[in-house]
Amino acid sequence: MTRKHQLSFMTHAALILLVVLLAFPVYYALVTSTLSFREAYQYPPKMLPGGEFWHNIQDAWIRARFGRLFFNSVFISLVVAAVKIVLSLLAAFAYTHFRFRGAGFLFALSMITQMLPLPVRILPTYELMADFGWINSYYALTVPFFASTTGILLFRQFFLTVPRELSDAARVDGAGPLRYFWQILVPLSRTNIAALFVIEFIFMWSQYLWPLIVTNTADMRVVQIGLKMLIASEQIAPEWNVIMAGTVIAMVPPLVVLVALRKSFAQGIAMQSEK
Amino acid sequence: MIEERFPGHPILPYLLILPSLAVIFVFLIVPFAQSVWGSFYVTSFFGDTRVFVGLSNYLDLFKSPDYLHSVAVTLFFSAFVVLVGLSASLGIALLLNQKISGLGIYQIALVWTYSISPAVAGVIWALLFAPATGLIPWLVKLVNPGYTLNWMTNGALALFVVSLAATWKMLGYNIVFFLAGLQNIPDELTDAARVDGAGPWLAFRHITFPMLSPTTTFLLFMNMLYAFFQVFGLIDIMTQGGPGNATNLLVYNLYRDAFIHLDSGRANAQSVIIFIVIAVAAMLQLRAATRKAAYAR
Amino acid sequence: MKQGIRFGLAALLALTLTSTALAKKVEITWWHAMSGSRLKVVEAIVDGFNAAHPEIQLNALYTGKYAETLTKYVAAYRTGTAPNLVQVYEVGTQTMLDSGAIVPVYKIPGMLGQEWDWAQYVIPITNYYSTNGNLWSMPFNSSTAMLYYNKDLFAKAGLDPNKPPRTWKEVEEYGKKLVQSGVVDHALSFGWPGWVFEQMFAYHNQLFADHKNGRAGRAEKVLFNGPFGQMVLETWARLAKENVFLYGGPEYSANTAFVGGQIAMLIQSTSSLAGITKGAGFKVGTTFLPRFEGYPRGNSVIGGGSLWVTKGQSKEELAAVWEFLKYLAREDVAVRWHKGTGYFPTVNNAVQALLSEGWFSKDQNYLTAFLQILSGRRDTPAATGVRLGPFVQIREIERAAIEKAVSGKLSPMRALDEAAAKANQLLAQYNKLH
Repeated sequence: MTRKHQLSFMTHAALILLVVLLAFPVYYALVTSTLSFREAYQYPPKMLPGGEFWHNIQDAWIRARFGRLFFNSVFISLVVAAVKIVLSLLAAFAYTHFRFRGAGFLFALSMITQMLPLPVRILPTYELMADFGWINSYYALTVPFFASTTGILLFRQFFLTVPRELSDAARVDGAGPLRYFWQILVPLSRTNIAALFVIEFIFMWSQYLWPLIVTNTADMRVVQIGLKMLIASEQIAPEWNVIMAGTVIAMVPPLVVLVALRKSFAQGIAMQSEK
Repeated sequence: MIEERFPGHPILPYLLILPSLAVIFVFLIVPFAQSVWGSFYVTSFFGDTRVFVGLSNYLDLFKSPDYLHSVAVTLFFSAFVVLVGLSASLGIALLLNQKISGLGIYQIALVWTYSISPAVAGVIWALLFAPATGLIPWLVKLVNPGYTLNWMTNGALALFVVSLAATWKMLGYNIVFFLAGLQNIPDELTDAARVDGAGPWLAFRHITFPMLSPTTTFLLFMNMLYAFFQVFGLIDIMTQGGPGNATNLLVYNLYRDAFIHLDSGRANAQSVIIFIVIAVAAMLQLRAATRKAAYAR
Repeated sequence: MKQGIRFGLAALLALTLTSTALAKKVEITWWHAMSGSRLKVVEAIVDGFNAAHPEIQLNALYTGKYAETLTKYVAAYRTGTAPNLVQVYEVGTQTMLDSGAIVPVYKIPGMLGQEWDWAQYVIPITNYYSTNGNLWSMPFNSSTAMLYYNKDLFAKAGLDPNKPPRTWKEVEEYGKKLVQSGVVDHALSFGWPGWVFEQMFAYHNQLFADHKNGRAGRAEKVLFNGPFGQMVLETWARLAKENVFLYGGPEYSANTAFVGGQIAMLIQSTSSLAGITKGAGFKVGTTFLPRFEGYPRGNSVIGGGSLWVTKGQSKEELAAVWEFLKYLAREDVAVRWHKGTGYFPTVNNAVQALLSEGWFSKDQNYLTAFLQILSGRRDTPAATGVRLGPFVQIREIERAAIEKAVSGKLSPMRALDEAAAKANQLLAQYNKLH
């Protein structure tokens, strides 16, 4: 073997080892989700799947009312991702294609989102929801999330690379700014839109603290909180097999989104990293 | 300076940014201002009485050993997540950046942890370390019979396990950005260094790492935000701040004061303190980013 | 004859009432914190109530753990969207009393022009939720602490499985034997450490806070760092040093070690009985809390939660809520609640029914806690249990002090003094505001 081959072999070996190491906790969780309650408590721990998977999934599904929670999580993640994309596209368009008074200040203001995450304003935001009568509603679960720094930055970065000739040509053809935006700029941004969709869907799917406090009843909860309920309802010996079945349910949708859109996601990130 | 591509539309840009700014104003800026305002008061549980106390909520916090302990725990936790997480993922990204076959497969096989929520990561690691039944306590007992590894009673261990779980979850995210950053470094630069006789380590230190610094500063900031805030679900599921406050991160302490102890003045003051930390970090990141940009030109 | 007419009139009245009510069902909402297996029992009771009262629609909603439910109630009350009825844990009692948000339950029958026999409730339970002899909230899920022990491990260590320890001295003696015989590494643990600490005060008739345990006025100072508290904590710290006591963390986390056979004795809430019996692969014994010799007799304290009625409801709603509270006092409902959850039945006739049905003799363990609260004294504030405004925080402070003392980080005296200073500061702030 040449030195180069050796090196490449080593790289592959190292990478495979890393892949296995990284995936092991999830593998173990998957195995546990296929065991019966007794098997989950046996020593030595089982390393190969058993036959109780669907049974456990059913159990988790019924016990934490996952059907409804699943719908809620998918719904709010889709809505928030979609609205964030639209609002960021609009704002980025304004910041890149127009000169207007206060643009710099207003841009800085939109960047503030990142510095004001929920915990630094949690009580007043909660009280605001109560004043609006939004507690335990989809409004509370979605509207406060609609602003996105990441989105504005991502699209701004991309819009700046779009050659001026395109907009000039559109203008010569008599197209107004909005038509140019919808018919040319937005379709060009497909990759970035997909990338942002992945980011925002996963972000929203993972929300925990806010849904925990603004929802009161079982029909408004989300999957992450369902997981907590599944654990908390057992005081003595946690039913790991059922809990892990719930975990599998909670893991699938964001993973599907990531895998399905992985190419656009990687390209979108790469584009943003270009300076 | 932005070029005006569509002159003659004085109102349109304002309309375009209005929805974003409205959301930011109503749900972010106003509530934050109220946090600041509320931090100067103490309020009864049901909110019917409030008394202006000036800075005493802040003074009480800094005098409270529990709060200082929470600060220390948060510092350890974020340092762990940032340092261990970033170095591990940079290493993995460097491996991936070699021209190898099957890159696409490796990429997704290493990046997927990004899609896992902090709460799910918490559940999975709680299973691995479950005191009576978990895999890792079992392995420890094999090596060291008679010793029971119990992170539910051992504070230092709990903090370690929580940090590990949080770092693991964030690896995917970090790898994506590092890899993107690495791929944007022109090959000619590193090749040139090699030709000049620099070994891989020297090339990394003098070319790759400096070229990567915008990505690194960005990730430093994002990981810090993650370690400060997004891990709430992980903590709530795994330890709820225990045992004995050993994993009581600032965000968890804040939640407890706000929503369990109903002590809103104290909670608001904590919000403001956390904001100051984040704002300082954001400034530093911004300064680093602009300085690098000037340098690159 | 006269009776017949009166009966007929009453029936007619009832009929017209129901028919008007049928036209418009009274809808009431109840927020509670019962999850898991308890939730099922709650749902069954609610369904039973709705079936028995076609004119009322009771919606029972699980709103999260106790703390979350209380927070949500506070926010809802402030915005006028509070439920008609809410379940609050025992540490939230003073908060609710001071809230101005509730109607004391003792006033409700009078407001509705009804009579109600308050003597039918089990006295030690109603005492806990009473102020000046009047009941402010309706007892619902009440429990107390007792000592669980593993009979198999006792036998293995050469102890008599039918002679559990009665005093802390015996706990120490038995514990050492269990550890020295190599049966276990540690002998004893607690759930809810702060609560167990409070239990010791009431159980020996010692005041935990001034103003008669906060029952004759708001507490301003805690008394737990006095000689009695020090003695308790010194005992525990010594047991920890001797490897007899293993600190098991808050709430229910110590249960795993007991069920797993890693410890042989556990002080825990009676509400864990069903779960522990189900999970344990050994014979579970229960007995009264251990006593410190030479101290007076008091009583163990009630924990759990009670139901509070929101102020400002329409008369129809209030009447519907009251119907439900009366329904909970029905013998069969109270029996079902006890059997399904392990919480105390709150009315005397349910206790009678359980006794005559032989329920307690089938499983003696269900009787232990009952005998414990009935055999204790109930005429002093010290034995009734403490009432504090910021109780949630103070209980956490107690827990932290216990942790520090048993781990040897601080001497028991210093840990308690530090905790008392913090607690007194919180009390001062609370009293300034309320």
